[in-house]
Amino acid sequence: MSTPRKPRALVLTGEGISCERETAQGFLRAGFDVEVRHLNDLIVERFSLDQLSARFQVLVLPGGASHGADLGAGKLLALRISHGLGWDFSTFVARGGLILGVSNGFQAMIRMGVFGKDLSIARNIDGKFQDIWVRVLPSGSRCVWLKGVGQVELPVRHSEGRVMIASFRRREVLAKMERYGMMCLRYESDFNGSDERIAGLCDPTGRIFGLMPHPEAFLRWTAHPDWTYQPGRSGSPGQGAELFNNAFQEALRSI
Amino acid sequence: MFLRIEVAQHPEFADPAASELLRQVELSYPAIRKKIRWARCLEVFWFDFPMSREEMIPAINEVFWDPVLKWMFSGNLIPSAAGKHGSILDLMEAAPHRPGRFWALETRYRPGVTDHSARSALTALEVVAGRSLPEGRTASGSLLLLEGPQLDEETLAVIAREVLCNEMMETWTLYSEAELIKSDRFHQERIRRDLPKMVLRGADRMDTFSLGQLPAGELAALARKRNWNLSEAEMVAIQQHFANPALRELRQAQGLGDPTEVELETFSRCWSEAARGKLLSAEIRYQDNDPLLGGPEISREIDGLHAQTVGLANAEMQRPWMLAEFQNGTGALAFDDDDAITLRSEVHSDSLALDPRAGTASGAARVVRGAVAVGPGARPFAVNDVLCTGALDYAGPLPERLRHPRRVLAGFRAGLEQGITLSGVPVVGGAMVFDERFLGKPQVVFSSAGLVPRALIPAPGNPDDPNIPRPGDRLCVVGSAVGRDGFQPPNEMISSTLVQRVDPTLQKKVLDLILEAREMGLVRSVTTVAEGGLSVAAFRVGYLAGGVRVDLASLDQKISGLKPSEIWVSETLERMLVALDREKHGLFMALAERRGVPVADLGELTRSGHLEVDWGTRRLAFVELDFIQHGCPRVKLDAVWSVPAEMPQALPGYYFSQHGRQALLELLARPNIASKEWLQRGVDHELQGASVLKAFSGPIQPGESHVSPNDCSVLRPKSTSSAGVAIATGVAPRYSDWDPYLMAQGVVDEAVRNVVAAGGEYGNTDSVLALAASFSWADPTQDSFSLAGLVRGFYGLRQAALELSTPILAGNHAFSEEYRGQVQGKDVRVPIPGTLTVTAVARVPEVRYVRSADFKSPGDGIYVLGAEVLGLVGSEYHSMRPGNLPGTRPRLPEPRWDGARRIYAWLGGTQGKEQVRLRSVHDISDGGLLVAVAESCLARSLGAVVVTRDEPWEAWFGEGFSAFVVSVSEADGLLMESEWTELGIPWRKLGTVNATSKLEVRNQQPDGSVESWAVEVGELRRAWRKDGYWQ
Repeated sequence: MSTPRKPRALVLTGEGISCERETAQGFLRAGFDVEVRHLNDLIVERFSLDQLSARFQVLVLPGGASHGADLGAGKLLALRISHGLGWDFSTFVARGGLILGVSNGFQAMIRMGVFGKDLSIARNIDGKFQDIWVRVLPSGSRCVWLKGVGQVELPVRHSEGRVMIASFRRREVLAKMERYGMMCLRYESDFNGSDERIAGLCDPTGRIFGLMPHPEAFLRWTAHPDWTYQPGRSGSPGQGAELFNNAFQEALRSI
Repeated sequence: MFLRIEVAQHPEFADPAASELLRQVELSYPAIRKKIRWARCLEVFWFDFPMSREEMIPAINEVFWDPVLKWMFSGNLIPSAAGKHGSILDLMEAAPHRPGRFWALETRYRPGVTDHSARSALTALEVVAGRSLPEGRTASGSLLLLEGPQLDEETLAVIAREVLCNEMMETWTLYSEAELIKSDRFHQERIRRDLPKMVLRGADRMDTFSLGQLPAGELAALARKRNWNLSEAEMVAIQQHFANPALRELRQAQGLGDPTEVELETFSRCWSEAARGKLLSAEIRYQDNDPLLGGPEISREIDGLHAQTVGLANAEMQRPWMLAEFQNGTGALAFDDDDAITLRSEVHSDSLALDPRAGTASGAARVVRGAVAVGPGARPFAVNDVLCTGALDYAGPLPERLRHPRRVLAGFRAGLEQGITLSGVPVVGGAMVFDERFLGKPQVVFSSAGLVPRALIPAPGNPDDPNIPRPGDRLCVVGSAVGRDGFQPPNEMISSTLVQRVDPTLQKKVLDLILEAREMGLVRSVTTVAEGGLSVAAFRVGYLAGGVRVDLASLDQKISGLKPSEIWVSETLERMLVALDREKHGLFMALAERRGVPVADLGELTRSGHLEVDWGTRRLAFVELDFIQHGCPRVKLDAVWSVPAEMPQALPGYYFSQHGRQALLELLARPNIASKEWLQRGVDHELQGASVLKAFSGPIQPGESHVSPNDCSVLRPKSTSSAGVAIATGVAPRYSDWDPYLMAQGVVDEAVRNVVAAGGEYGNTDSVLALAASFSWADPTQDSFSLAGLVRGFYGLRQAALELSTPILAGNHAFSEEYRGQVQGKDVRVPIPGTLTVTAVARVPEVRYVRSADFKSPGDGIYVLGAEVLGLVGSEYHSMRPGNLPGTRPRLPEPRWDGARRIYAWLGGTQGKEQVRLRSVHDISDGGLLVAVAESCLARSLGAVVVTRDEPWEAWFGEGFSAFVVSVSEADGLLMESEWTELGIPWRKLGTVNATSKLEVRNQQPDGSVESWAVEVGELRRAWRKDGYWQ
């Protein structure tokens, strides 16, 4: 009997991305093999979509501050992925892949148009950077990353997290999101002015998922700001770990 | 083609950048704010691009235009990217008041100032075009559109100068409404003019100085004229050195005669206080004018202040886990068998009040680079900051060109984000001190902790150590090109070229490259380029290897025309000096190229015993390394101490039962005590996913935050280990007004008790706990009293470190911390209060036993541990009510080290127990015991009843050493009490946590009667949060 092959995750890094190590941890702990690769190397190697699909089940755009948020958070990263790598995300997921974008990665995915052209992301309504723990509520059953996940508490750490819907197409966009279950994660209460309290979105397949909160920052219970209230739970995993475990279960089916 | 674009937020959406700017106007000029009815912030870009119009239009659209959010104005190039006019008129028509009265202010960076947005814009266009555009030029700026009928040119100039622009780095232009509509600014010729000049190679101009037989006085005058900051004795030493005939011959052979500008600048920088610590190695004659009052044993002849205090203390406390002491300012502690924790602390002050944001950012970014520069590179995982600034409610005249403390605060937060968050390091905690004397010279002390494999820490003195630079190694400068923006004369109080703009992306890329190269085994050693620029960095590396040769022509310049001597001392940010094995040089260069990080091949390490500086084939400097290291003459100084202040008397008839409640609420609202949650939320404190104990604890809830402040931060730097690192600071300059000896001891104790409160280990010889200490002091070389205070500060540091067995492994100091300048046209000198900031770092054996400060459950017993001699003199209460003090016997606090060691050892786990029965631990510091109890109530809105029999003012508001408020479940109370008694730990029961949401304070009178008052926890919280006060 041969050892079962582990699913593999590719975590992008470089150019100001800074959460690649803890994001890799999340996937490692869930059972993945993880490669952290510099974006420049992939571009120089002309690492193609076929290579990506052949080698990896999951593609991850981690958090951080790619290119120092010049031109809008995630903008330059989005351009470099679109033009430098030219990967078509929907083909990758159609072949069984999964994609996660966290915070800066989510911002880049919005700017790439992954969730439609009529969405954008802007500075928080008060203009300030915020590092604060929030309660987020999954909604619908489309997103494979959120399967079985209830209300969770996670930190947000950003100054550009206000998801915006084009005002002239608002009704159509909301209808489409509703139809495909794309609005899969919402803040319990508004804190940054995000339209419809959107905290995360998935594509119509539910396999591409982007969110502003940081699941990789809550892999262990001891990361929670109030964990000392229940020291008995200190050995437990954090609620963010569930997302990585879901990805593992899903990725197992496609290898 | 030439192109200008302006990008505006679509008028349907709020414009947070404009709101932020209006807030800044409001903070400084409320009257002007009232004149502005509407404001929008636009980004502006100028381009000169070798691209056709057809290629340009889609590229510009893709990069700059967001159809959901933005309008873009481009002259007539892309009219469809805005409303019906395709120009700024669209925006004007969307203003709420019509017809409006419009003005605009445009800002641009001066040539040579870091403009990372422009660089990113260029990169983006290259990405879209699919090719590199080496001839392309870009610049970025902003356009502030304002509407208001009462605005005029004069008002706008104030906004531009005082709020919008830092005129040292930016220029501004005013546009009237007519000019805005006319759109001349989009014309090709105009854009060509507005773009900054091209980067060119610099000239190799260089002066030499015939020191010959010049009398000492003239030498000193020459040094002053050239801003070398070399004393008369130092100039004479240099003169004598160069008079040596053998040396003259040796120099002639290399085309050198009289000392060159580069050589004299080398002495100026390498012999500066920052580089050498001259003051700390000076011979000091110390005299105490009030010896009868008792106090420390201070030698009357001090042979090097650092050696006699920190040096001697460390020598007595050598432990196997101390892996590095003051190695380029960094210390290292063993974390486990494989890795070490690095510890570093640095004072920054120069440009904070001039440009709070850029000043903070550049200092912060420098600290992160310093944290990386250990051996071949360490990985920083935490930064702590302590900010000392003027009183927030200061209403008097401001020193010229300096900013109000409220603006300092706002800029400080933004600067932390730029300098540290974008480098990928969490800002985990810190403290703030507000005192009017910091108004002209705010201080920030950054301390950092990093992780590095133990095998990579250099072992000085071992020539075979692979991490020590050696002859034959290549020397490279990684990062930014050299600019004038980093050039500053040493020790000048305010220099127009002193403020620099950080380039966060480049900084992150430089750090990433170094750590990646380290993991590949390519790097020998990394040195940060900081004070004194390359001169100091190259000397340091060269001295370790025994020789160094560099070629300044190898360096790219940001702007043309820098002289070699300017390049040599430029303090341009985002640069590290890397020593590489020759064999690995090629691999390193290839990696840097792939990572897009500029690297200049500066030179090599040699065996020559000399520092050799060239410009191509021309020699600019040839100096013996040993002379730089040992040739600086020693300073001799006098220190005279006299007791600075009279002890206050007892103030009769002021009763705690009447005034205590109000005093508690006022204390909680004092800026020194009030919540700093706004700051902690404003920076990323959870990067790297290692957070265990944050600066604040409490349940998550929407709306108003309910948290209690913790005493320190705990992180778990290795994902494979369940051990952690606790990091905390202590600072209390107000005690320097009484005696810096007491101040320093208190600060050490505060830092130590903060880390043991949360669970840092203490008390065994293998308990890993060490300190970094940084002094900020008014110029002690000019003032024998100031020097005497500093001496007492250092002896206090030594005393407390020895008493608590905590070695001091790192720290740097700032010794010209006084404001000299003008206030309303009058010359003033304002020394800062003598400040010592101590950072303690301790290993936490198991993070699951970490304790927070908040009370957990009704019924838990509240106890005080320690608190043997608290005092009201010098306390925060005393700052709030200066003069005589209520109570029976106003006194200063006193240390009780025996009790302190017993408590710390017990908390620190030497009894083999993790003290899991402690439900909360909070140290008693600013504001005293009652403030600590109140803070513990906040997170869960739990109430408490607390009782004392002692004199209430001192008992509740006195401050001092080794004191904690702890809570224990009812069931464990008796067990704990008997354990404390058995171990000789001073303790007393204070009261009980309850569910009333009310804090009730009872004072038992000698006759047995009880006086009491109560206050709602909600009211305590409102006072502590001071909503709106900071914003």
